[in-house]
Amino acid sequence: MTQTPAAPGPDDGRVGVTIDGREVRVPKGTLVLDAATELGIHIPIYCAHAKLDPVAVCRMCLVHIEKFPKPQPACATTVAEGMVVTTNNAEVTKLREGVLEFLLVNHPLDCPVCDRGGECDLQDFTFRYGPGTSRFPITEKVHFAKALPLSQHIELDQERCILCWRCVRYYDEITGEKEIVLQQRGVQTLVTTFNGEQLKSNFQGNLPEVCPVGALTHREYRFRARPWELQRAPSVCPECSYGCNINADSRDFEIKRFASRDNPLVDDMWLCDRGRYSFPQWNTSERVRRPQLRPRGGEQRDVTAVEAISAAARELRAVVDQHGSGAVGVLGSALNTNEELWLLGRLARDVIGTPHIDHQLEPFEKLDPAEHALGIADIEECDALVVLGAEPEAEAPVLTLRLFKAERKRGARVHRLDHGADPSRIASAVRGAKTIGVIADETNRAHAARVAAAITGGAVRRLTVTRGVNGRGAKDMGVLPGLAAGYRSAPSGKHGREILEAAASGALRALLILGPNPALETAGDVLQRALARADSVVVIDSRPGVCAGAATVLIPGHAFFEKHGTVTNLEGRVQRIRPALPPATPTPTETRVLSSLAAELGARDWDRGEPSAVNRALRAALAPYAAAGNGGRATWVAEAVA
Amino acid sequence: MSLSAATRAEIETARERYPQARSAILPALWAVQHEVGHLSPDGMEEVARILHVTASEVEAVSTFYSMYFQKPHGRHEVIVCINVSCALRGADDIVAHLERSLGCESGSTTADGEFTWSSTVECLGACGGAPAMQLDHRFVENLTPESVDATLAAARASSPHATTGPGDAVGAEPAAASSGERRRGAPAGGRTRPRRRTKPEASDG
Repeated sequence: MTQTPAAPGPDDGRVGVTIDGREVRVPKGTLVLDAATELGIHIPIYCAHAKLDPVAVCRMCLVHIEKFPKPQPACATTVAEGMVVTTNNAEVTKLREGVLEFLLVNHPLDCPVCDRGGECDLQDFTFRYGPGTSRFPITEKVHFAKALPLSQHIELDQERCILCWRCVRYYDEITGEKEIVLQQRGVQTLVTTFNGEQLKSNFQGNLPEVCPVGALTHREYRFRARPWELQRAPSVCPECSYGCNINADSRDFEIKRFASRDNPLVDDMWLCDRGRYSFPQWNTSERVRRPQLRPRGGEQRDVTAVEAISAAARELRAVVDQHGSGAVGVLGSALNTNEELWLLGRLARDVIGTPHIDHQLEPFEKLDPAEHALGIADIEECDALVVLGAEPEAEAPVLTLRLFKAERKRGARVHRLDHGADPSRIASAVRGAKTIGVIADETNRAHAARVAAAITGGAVRRLTVTRGVNGRGAKDMGVLPGLAAGYRSAPSGKHGREILEAAASGALRALLILGPNPALETAGDVLQRALARADSVVVIDSRPGVCAGAATVLIPGHAFFEKHGTVTNLEGRVQRIRPALPPATPTPTETRVLSSLAAELGARDWDRGEPSAVNRALRAALAPYAAAGNGGRATWVAEAVA
Repeated sequence: MSLSAATRAEIETARERYPQARSAILPALWAVQHEVGHLSPDGMEEVARILHVTASEVEAVSTFYSMYFQKPHGRHEVIVCINVSCALRGADDIVAHLERSLGCESGSTTADGEFTWSSTVECLGACGGAPAMQLDHRFVENLTPESVDATLAAARASSPHATTGPGDAVGAEPAAASSGERRRGAPAGGRTRPRRRTKPEASDG
């Protein structure tokens, strides 16, 4: 070795190492593997995983380190001042070939029919670092069970397994459920569950992504696509308000899977099964495709979008002229984008002039952005966490993993309590903690406020788990009675259920509904009566349903995965969504429909409503959204609160 | 299924012995195996409950070691050594004799459920008394086909493992008279005189 060690630098908590002749200074305690990554030097590895502790079982990352008598695993060796590492000499090359040859001794080599083929570390490393041939005859392989269902979601191929322990460690370190273990030993070792039982975890879907090979695969994705055929759309999981980042992978205009897209501040790369396996619903062909006019007592007919918009404007104007602007109720949805909701709020208040606007049925008393002050990543900084009831974790399951991480990494105490638990008792339970998080869902907001007020002697921050992917955005955008965009006070109006009741009793004469809104459909009978009684029901919705069926003017909407826009998660993080599928209707996007409707109703200063232009206008109007940009948190200063 | 109070107490005692309850999995599994005869899923689940670990962890440990039985075994366990010393002293004949007299292959259980026998283990460490076999927890040495028959007949008439519950205490020492038999680890021929110190006791302390 002729390489010279990196010159010792000032004592700044960093050490200098030389890897393949290149020097880098990294913080003390950095692993050789991560130092190499910093230099752009690739060290092949199976067992190491960015989110898991080192274990050093796969031996793939062995490198030569000067003054060490034997090769060392880069994934478990920390750097030291002056360390000289070599990853590209003949010794390391031979080691890698040897390890790969061993890993492939009993591997079935069924890449052509393996779902992982094309995105498999075993395949990739063998191409890049492996021997071209094997000295072991293919006829003498030890065989294990193939296509073993571990649950309705996960399939296990024990032959393909390379025993890297990642799935076992995932269950140990990330979920704490310990469902998967390695049994037997030596060549007979296999990944399995207790007594062959089915997996019960709510986070199984992460296993195929943790697995570096094709041993654990999604049953829903089996034989559906090859990775190189997939179109990848970076988006946000639409199942809840947590805002997990996903890649919506589609092929032939169908979403084939949701893959995680690591955002350490939100999902930390883990998705829940409810979210991950919710993708088939977006491939439905049951869609509203054509604009229709269905006048009460008249003939139903298909029209163009332009005709439908003018008809909607005509109907709404007629109601306003006859009964006043307060006779119109406007309902948005937590599935709409910020851009749509912002336009809807302006359309209702500024153009139509009605205060009756909401996005869900229940009223929000004393809404305060401070109840979302505790960020998801901040949970890890808390000494004590209070979770009121099972609802927060049922609504946003990935929250459970963040709570477990806080417990495991920082020793935080997590108090899971009944949602009616006595505030003073909770306060005494968390006494001594310096930073405290109080987490509740929307139905227990008021109680969470009492709990937060009762806790003294520590910094308390609250997190309210909102409903629907953009439930938080709907509040920020002022799709609420009494609060306009940016939590500015507005004339008080009826909340969701009151709007429906008023329409059912004839007090409201027209409804403008921007769907799809599953929350609305839980209203049941009152919704039916409201839709039947109103003179005019203008519905913009993507799916045939109760609302679309009762519309007097029906305008096709776009599904979540067919549009551009932003959604805001429960902590106020503004994140972009992108289309993964072509639109099922030629009708213009919702923002353009709303802009045209506003223009028809007499608004003069609205532009055409392209989503990107609406987003710019929205950010110009709402400073927290300008500051948040794409991926940041919108935080509302106390003065802005009404 | 539920374990006897004595077994549960044994597992709880083992749990208290270690800083981590997980470490008590091995002694807990022995306790279960001694009571049930093998490690049933129910038994492992109960161990997991007592030790506050998951059943999958318990099973992972149990499958790693070959002396824990995953499947029901015969009332008695017979292990025949076929390593060098025993082989030189005629272990093959003993294996053939066992196969004939028990009527089943190595690794299986007799039809009457009395014996599970195997000849696939490595050296038992009883070379001084080769050929040797292990019956339950005892060594039987200097085997001949006749002594094997006598030992098995005596075992048939007795109870299994000496560590079973107190109810079995009367028959728990099976056929101790059998000449070739000794506790595992005891000197051949039995202890004949008090063990002497190698150094005379120092009088000055």
